[in-house]
Amino acid sequence: MPKSQLELLVLYQDVQLMLHEAEEQENMGFQVEGRKNLENALKELADTIQTRYIRTYDRLKTRHTRPIAPVSNDVCLGCFAKQPTSYKARAWDDKQIITCEHCGRILYWIY
Amino acid sequence: MHLNELIGYFREEFFLPALQSEGKEALLEEMVEPLLEHEVIKNKRVILETLKKRETLGSTGIGYGVAIPHCRTLAVADVQIVIGRSTKGVSYEALDGEPVHLFFLIVAPPQEKSNLYLPILGKLVEILRDESFRKQLQSIDTFDAFKNILLGE
Repeated sequence: MPKSQLELLVLYQDVQLMLHEAEEQENMGFQVEGRKNLENALKELADTIQTRYIRTYDRLKTRHTRPIAPVSNDVCLGCFAKQPTSYKARAWDDKQIITCEHCGRILYWIY
Repeated sequence: MHLNELIGYFREEFFLPALQSEGKEALLEEMVEPLLEHEVIKNKRVILETLKKRETLGSTGIGYGVAIPHCRTLAVADVQIVIGRSTKGVSYEALDGEPVHLFFLIVAPPQEKSNLYLPILGKLVEILRDESFRKQLQSIDTFDAFKNILLGE
């Protein structure tokens, strides 16, 4: 199970997308009968994530399809704005989440 | 999607001809390991959890000894495919209840420029429905032999 609040938020977004794409996969012949299971898993995840982070996520969701953006070479891949280099060092600090200075998306460093 | 295009996504370092795992969870972990070794992912936690969540939606064991575990996750920057084979078979809760011998694990980022995740998934399902192709795959041990079968050589 993911450890940090940021990892849990990433999982939360991944599961939302999975539910969204379920129908297309069903058309390919995959067995997709467990939507309810996944919806329940989503609720459980929401309960595990701190309320303030879920609130931030939901607020961003009204503006962006995917509120969490990956970062590559210090660039937010949601809006392509350059981020301060110092952000990366703080990226895995569980006491805070880092958001893009330009678009406000939650940032996630893949490496 | 053309077969040649699909082959471009296969990498020798992500070809595992002798999987050791016997159960689903261990199998997923074994298949994700090379992604960590080759620094495609930072850690295995998010990707494994997303793959497991996908299995709760319905098994990706599509029958006739084949499984295509897959998910989109922010944990990867590009589409990655890991191919695995288990000679003894893995208990994977496949649609037909049979053990699974061939695995194609696909992970893709949520947003990708070329949007190839679903076409790749669809193409794999299509080629793996061919029984003679599946039988040939069971008998090979090297990545080159695998590619030659795909190319019909």
